[in-house]
Amino acid sequence: MNPELLIALTIGAALFGVGLYGALSQTNLVMIIMGVELMLAAALVNLVAFWRYLHPNEISGQMFVLIVMAVMAVEMAVGFGIAIARFRSRGSVEMEEARELKG
Amino acid sequence: MNAEMIFLTFFGGAAVWFGIVVFRTHSMVRSALALLFSQTAIGAMFLVMQAEFLGVLQIMMMATEMSVMAIFMVMFMMDPGGLGAMDMTHQKRLSLWAGGVGLVAALGLTLGVDWGPAALSVPSASAQIEMLGIELLGRSMFIFESAGLTILTAMVAATMVAIAPQDKGGAK
Amino acid sequence: MNIAIILGSLALGAYIIAIVESWATYGRLRLAGPALAALALLGRESVLARKPDRLFFETAPVLLLVAGLLAVAVIPLAPDLIITDLSSGALFLNAALAYVLVALIMAGWGANGAYGMIGGWRFLGQFIAYAMLIVMPITAVAMRAESLMTTQIVISQVELWNIFYQPIGFVLFVIAAMGLAYLPPLDLPLAPGDLAGGVEAEYTGVRLGVLRLARMIIILSLAGATVTFYLGGWLGPWLPPWAWSAIKILVVTVAMLMAGHYMPRIREARYLALSWKLGISLALANIFLVGVIALVVPI
Repeated sequence: MNPELLIALTIGAALFGVGLYGALSQTNLVMIIMGVELMLAAALVNLVAFWRYLHPNEISGQMFVLIVMAVMAVEMAVGFGIAIARFRSRGSVEMEEARELKG
Repeated sequence: MNAEMIFLTFFGGAAVWFGIVVFRTHSMVRSALALLFSQTAIGAMFLVMQAEFLGVLQIMMMATEMSVMAIFMVMFMMDPGGLGAMDMTHQKRLSLWAGGVGLVAALGLTLGVDWGPAALSVPSASAQIEMLGIELLGRSMFIFESAGLTILTAMVAATMVAIAPQDKGGAK
Repeated sequence: MNIAIILGSLALGAYIIAIVESWATYGRLRLAGPALAALALLGRESVLARKPDRLFFETAPVLLLVAGLLAVAVIPLAPDLIITDLSSGALFLNAALAYVLVALIMAGWGANGAYGMIGGWRFLGQFIAYAMLIVMPITAVAMRAESLMTTQIVISQVELWNIFYQPIGFVLFVIAAMGLAYLPPLDLPLAPGDLAGGVEAEYTGVRLGVLRLARMIIILSLAGATVTFYLGGWLGPWLPPWAWSAIKILVVTVAMLMAGHYMPRIREARYLALSWKLGISLALANIFLVGVIALVVPI
């Protein structure tokens, strides 16, 4: 048995659920980015927990965490770039009003 | 129940609680800062799990990221202070179901798998930092460099998308 | 024991700085001034603005104080006189001081006043300017010390202080540190004169006292960081280590406070342009140079 790992993974699962709910339910682009951030944070918790409780001598586990942090930064930069462009052309970042992107 | 489990539960609970607050408060600045404190609690969890460098890095990076998030919220939202208490959600039932199904699936996987025994000893914090440095600039250098290049590209691309189109005269 | 000594010297240092700052501002040396001002702030009524974000308004001064105290925790005053010698100490200092930004945004937003809010968001612009310049010189320092531990960084300077080894890094770090501690000429979030106190505009009484005390501690922690990273920390002849640390920290603090006296305030957009176009290139050059020197000349 491995109770610490179970606690960490449970918290990761809960964060993922909350993030998924947020990403789907919010109408605003910035809030959707927040939901995605929470889901990535859940992934971070799981990665660190796996590193700590299963393979503490494999430092590649920590490197994965760094890569996920880089992904979070990239996601924010691109998301905000799109948000600014959208706000400039349409005056809002409400996703309900972005039906024309459906094609 | 040892000290490590108690602290993990405490900080994890704080992270989840602040994560829920993000989508429940009407004030946009509060929601961005709730996300920040959720991420900080996750950084504290890393510290409890003896990944000192990663925990400190997480706590440092998120302070910046989420403050930037806060100013974007204030810039783009109609009611950043949340005094009007407007509803900004859609497809609530679907999202609740999706979140619930995701949670249950992940929990089922967590509890259903035999993870084997816990590893007891961890390299010391300074040894970890040294190993991580050697890993980053040795075996995983290519991956790390590509991540850096990706960030640079994203920065340039995002700036290009966001920059105001120049009026080169004659358009009037 | 260490904690008590460091907190005590911190309080003493904050008091001395308060005297020096009022001397630099008003030109009169009043030894009892800070104590009287603190007593006056304690006695005064704490006014609340209309419809404040109460949670932010109350938390912000405390968060600012905690950020400063956590930053002090990794600064060594003598080989054994340090609260926690973390193995990622130099990074931890940054992590703690990043919350100065969060606290100021909370303070500015929570008070529900235009001046405070503008001050808070201005500090975000200033933060984007100085953030890279505070991290990249520390990278070069850590490269020389081959460690992120602050005590190791001091020990690495036994032969030659870092101010001579990497002078570019020192200049960039001090400028960035002054931006972080919002000292004049980079005191945009407060901007007495055009923002009427900025972030502090809506604060009165005890809360204002905590805000001011926290700022003193942040200034001291940054002076401590400058001394640790560039001026050889406790190293020095004749005197005991703690005396050297104290002297150096006080000298750096006074220099930082006096610098603003002779310069006009710099707009955050200009600061931003300068730091990113000039500062980051210089910081990269500094990292490169230190790398080359560390490989070629082993000191």
